[in-house]
Amino acid sequence: MPLHRGFITLLLLLLPISAQAFDLEDLQRQLAATPSVAGRFEQQRELADLDSSLTSQGTFIFERGKRVVWQLETPVEERIELTPEAITDGSGKAAPPGGEQVAQLFLQLLEGDWQALESRFTLKLSGDRDAWQVALTPKEAALRERIADITLRGDRTIDNLDMRTPDGDRLEVRLFDQRPLNDS
Amino acid sequence: MKSDRFVKTLGYRRLGWLWLVVLAFCAVWLGWMLRQGLPADTDLTALLPADRQAPLVEKADRELGRGFENRFLLLLGDDDRVATTQALGRSLQQLVDDGQLAGIDWRELDLADADPHEWMGPWRYRLLTPQWQQTIDANGGSTLVDPALRQLFSPTARPDPVADPFGLLDAWLSRLPQSPIGAADGLLTLDRSYQPGSQKWSVLIGELEGSPYDLPMQTALHTTLEQFQQQHPDAELLRSGLVFHAAAGARQAKHEMSTIGAASLLGVLLIIGFVFRSPRVLLQLMVPLLAGSLFALTLTLGIFGRLHLLTLAFGASLIGIAIDYVLHLQCDRAIEGRGFRLRRLLPSLTLGLISSVIAYVAQALTPMPGLRQMAAFAAFGLIGAWLTVVLWLPRFTLHASPFTARLATGWWRLCQPRWRLSPWLALAGAVVLIVVCALRLTSDDSLELLNPSPAALMQDEARVQQLLDRDTGSRYFLVQAEDTQALLARLDELDGALDKAIGEGLEIDYQSLAGSVPTAAEQQANLAQVRKLYGAPLDELIQRAGMPAEVAEKARAQLEKSPMLTLANWLETPLGSLQQRLWLGETGDGGVAATVVVSGARNADVDRTLRALAESQTHQGATVEYVDRVSRIGSLLGELRRHTAMWVALAMVLMTLALVARYRRRAWRVIVPPFGATLIVLTAFAVTGVPLNIFNQLGLLLVLGIGLDAGIFNVEHARRPSAWLAITLSTLTSLLAFGMLAFSATPALHYLGLTCLIGLASVWALVPWVRPADDAYPTHDSPNQSSRESEHG
Repeated sequence: MPLHRGFITLLLLLLPISAQAFDLEDLQRQLAATPSVAGRFEQQRELADLDSSLTSQGTFIFERGKRVVWQLETPVEERIELTPEAITDGSGKAAPPGGEQVAQLFLQLLEGDWQALESRFTLKLSGDRDAWQVALTPKEAALRERIADITLRGDRTIDNLDMRTPDGDRLEVRLFDQRPLNDS
Repeated sequence: MKSDRFVKTLGYRRLGWLWLVVLAFCAVWLGWMLRQGLPADTDLTALLPADRQAPLVEKADRELGRGFENRFLLLLGDDDRVATTQALGRSLQQLVDDGQLAGIDWRELDLADADPHEWMGPWRYRLLTPQWQQTIDANGGSTLVDPALRQLFSPTARPDPVADPFGLLDAWLSRLPQSPIGAADGLLTLDRSYQPGSQKWSVLIGELEGSPYDLPMQTALHTTLEQFQQQHPDAELLRSGLVFHAAAGARQAKHEMSTIGAASLLGVLLIIGFVFRSPRVLLQLMVPLLAGSLFALTLTLGIFGRLHLLTLAFGASLIGIAIDYVLHLQCDRAIEGRGFRLRRLLPSLTLGLISSVIAYVAQALTPMPGLRQMAAFAAFGLIGAWLTVVLWLPRFTLHASPFTARLATGWWRLCQPRWRLSPWLALAGAVVLIVVCALRLTSDDSLELLNPSPAALMQDEARVQQLLDRDTGSRYFLVQAEDTQALLARLDELDGALDKAIGEGLEIDYQSLAGSVPTAAEQQANLAQVRKLYGAPLDELIQRAGMPAEVAEKARAQLEKSPMLTLANWLETPLGSLQQRLWLGETGDGGVAATVVVSGARNADVDRTLRALAESQTHQGATVEYVDRVSRIGSLLGELRRHTAMWVALAMVLMTLALVARYRRRAWRVIVPPFGATLIVLTAFAVTGVPLNIFNQLGLLLVLGIGLDAGIFNVEHARRPSAWLAITLSTLTSLLAFGMLAFSATPALHYLGLTCLIGLASVWALVPWVRPADDAYPTHDSPNQSSRESEHG
C-alpha cells in the first residue's frame, strides 16, 4: 500500500514533465544547435487590395547572433544585410525611417529570440520537436494595429514564417534547402 | 505757546494712530492677497529687461525655448538598464497619476504612433527630393525602377504598389531630420554604444502639467529622482530641462535664506543686545522692521501681483537700512534719557531717508522688471520703517542706559583720528583712485552672471545636448515676408545659400520649414514630374514585379486626388508639430515670420559668415536677420550696466547739489564717505581684476545710500558720541545684512554682496577723518538749546 502510494506520487510528479516535454527553452536550444545556416527562400506577399501577390526568390545566409544576408535573385537582384544595429541594402544605404524596427523584429524571429519577443508578444508553442509551431500575438494595442499575428513553423530549423496584418495583408517566407554552415 | 505745543502734540499723536490704521489696512489686504499662498516666482530671467525693440525676437526665443521649458529629458545608463529604467519609469508614472506631471514617455511604443505613411498619404505626389527631381529631369525616371523593385521585395519593407509603388514618401521622409532616439529592449533608447566610452542610454521624456517653476511639482520630481539614485547608486542619470535648473535655483535660494539670512539676523541681534543690554530695545528694534516689511510686502504685491523670490531675499536684507533710523534714535534715547528730543534728529533722519529712497528710485527707473520690484520693495520698506521710527518709537518707554552712554563715550575717544582730512588731500586721493580705475577697470556682461545653476547640472545639460546632437535654439535666422508663400520661397533661398556654405566647409547644420513644405509652385512642378514618372517607368515596374496592368491604372488614379500641402497642414501632422517651434505666424505689421535654427560649430568665423549670409539674403519685401541669443543677452546686460552707471552718476550729481545747498563749505565732508567708498570699491575691483557688472553696480547704489546717511549724521551731530556709535552700529549691521551676500553661490547676489562688503567697510573707515571739529547745527552742547531748537522746528 505505501509502495503503491509512492508509485502514484512518482507518476504525478512525472506527469507535468512529460506534458511540457517540449518548451520554448528546448526549442531555443534545438535551434541554437545549428548556429549558422545557408539556404534558399521564397517570399510571397499578398496584398489585400490587389488580386495578385508579390513573389520573390533568392538565397540567404543566417549567422546566429551576427547577421542575416538576404540575396534576392528574382525579380530583381539585391543584397540586404540585417544586423542588430542596422539594416543595409546593396548600395550601403540605411533603411527607410521606421524600417529598423521591422528589421529588428525579423531578426528576432529568425533567431528564435523568445526572451526579446516575449516583451511584445504572447507566445504559444504547439507540436513536438520534429514539427513545432509558435504563434505570436502582439500584447500592446499600438503593435496590434500593425501586426495581427505571426506564425513560425519548423523542425531543426525555422522553415516557415507567416505574418498577417489587420488590413488583410500577408507575408509568407518559406525557407528550404537549408544546410548548416560549419565555418564557426 | 503752551496751547500751540498741545495742538502739535495732538497732531503728532493723530499721525501715529493714522499710521496704525494704515498698517492694519495693509495687514487685511495682505491677508486677502495671500489667501491662496504667496504667489512667488523663482524665474531668474524675470530680471531681464522686456525687449521692446524686438518683440519678434522675443517671440522666437519663447517658441524655441518652449520644449526646454515644458518638457524634461532624462538619460539613464546602467549595466542592468532594462530593470532600472522600468523602476524609474514606474515611479515617474506615479507622478503622472498624482497629477504632478502631464505625461512620461519611456517605453518603446510610447512614441510609436507616429507612422508618417498614414497621415502623409495624400500629399506625397507633390513632395520630391532634389535628387529625384534631377533624376526625372534627366531620364524621365527610368533609373528609379530598379530601386523601387528592390524596395517592393525587401522582407522588411511594407510595400503599397497602388498608393506609392516608387516609395516617394520614404525617399522624402529620409531627408527630414531623424530623431536619434530609437527603440531597443522595449525601451526608448539612445544608442551611443558605438562611440568609445559611451553606451546605450534609456531615454525618458517628461511633460509638465504647468509651469516649470511650480514648487510642489519640483519637490515631487526632485524627491522621486533622489530616491531613485539612492536605490540605484551605480546608475548614471543625466538631466536636461528648465525644471531642473529652476528647482536648483529655488533650493539654493531657500538654503541661502536659511543660512546667510539667519546668520546675519543672529549677528545683528548679538550686537544690539551687547550695546543696549535691554530686551526692550531689541523688541523696539523689531517693531519698525516688521511694520516696514508689512508695508513693503503689501504694496509690492498689490502693484506687481506676484513676488520674485529674489526680491524677498534681497529686499529683506535691504530693510537692514531701516535699522539705521532705529539705531540713531535709540542711541540718542539710551544716552540722553529724558533729554531726548526727536526734533533734533528729525532733519538728519529725513535727509537720510530721502537720499536712500533716491538711490532706489534710480534703480526703479532701470528697465529690468525684477530690479524694479526689488527697488519698490526696498523703498516701501524704508518709508514704512521710517514712519514707524518717527511716529511710534519716541512714545515707547526706554530708560537711559549708563552702560550704553559709557560705551559711546569710550568708543568715541578710541576713534578720534590724530589728524583730519583736508579737502585738497581728499581731492588728490580721489584723482589718484579715478586714474587707477580708468586704467585697470574691466567689465563683464556675460550671461553666466544670471545663471545660478550648479556646475554638475550644467555638465549634465551639455552632455545631453551633445549625445542627442540637439541644437539649443540659441542661434537662428529670423526671416520675415509678406505672406506664407513668399516666406517659404525666402526660406528656400536661405536654405540654398546655407547648403552652399556647408558645401564649402562651414561646419553647421540647420532646420528649416522650407525643407518640409515646398512652395505652391514647386509642389505643382513636382506633381508634373511625378506624372512623368507614372508613365512608362510605372508600366515597366508593374510588369517586372509580375503584377496585373490594372495596378498601374489604380496608381495613376491616385494622382488626381492629391491636395496641396500647406504650412498649416504640415504643422498639424505629428512630424510637423516637431517643427512648430520654427513657425512664428503673423507679425504685427501683417506679414509672417519663421526661424531657421542653426546648430554645430560656434566661433567668431562661423558667426561672421552667418551674419554676412543674412545680410546678403535681405532684399525687398523680406528681411533675414541672424540672431545669437547668448551674445544678445550679453549686450542687453551691457546696455543695462551702462544705463545704471549713468543713473548712479546722475544720483551723485543731484545729491551733491542738494548737499551743497544745505551744507555749503562743509558739503565735501558729507560726500566723502559715500563717494570715497564708491571709488575705493571700484579701485579694489580694478586692482584685483574683478570685472564690473550690473550687479556690483547695483551694490554701489546701496553703498551710496548708506554712506550718505553716515555722512549726514556725521556732520549734523559731529560732537555727539551717540551719533558715532549709531553710525558704527548701522554700518556693522548693514555689513552683516549685505556683506554676507558675498558668500552667496548665486553670482548676482555674490557680486552685490562683495561690493557692499568693501563699500560699507570703507564708509565706516572714512567717517572719522572727515568729521568737522564742531556740529553743523550744534544743539545739545550749546547753552541756549531751546532757542536753537525752535529755529528748525
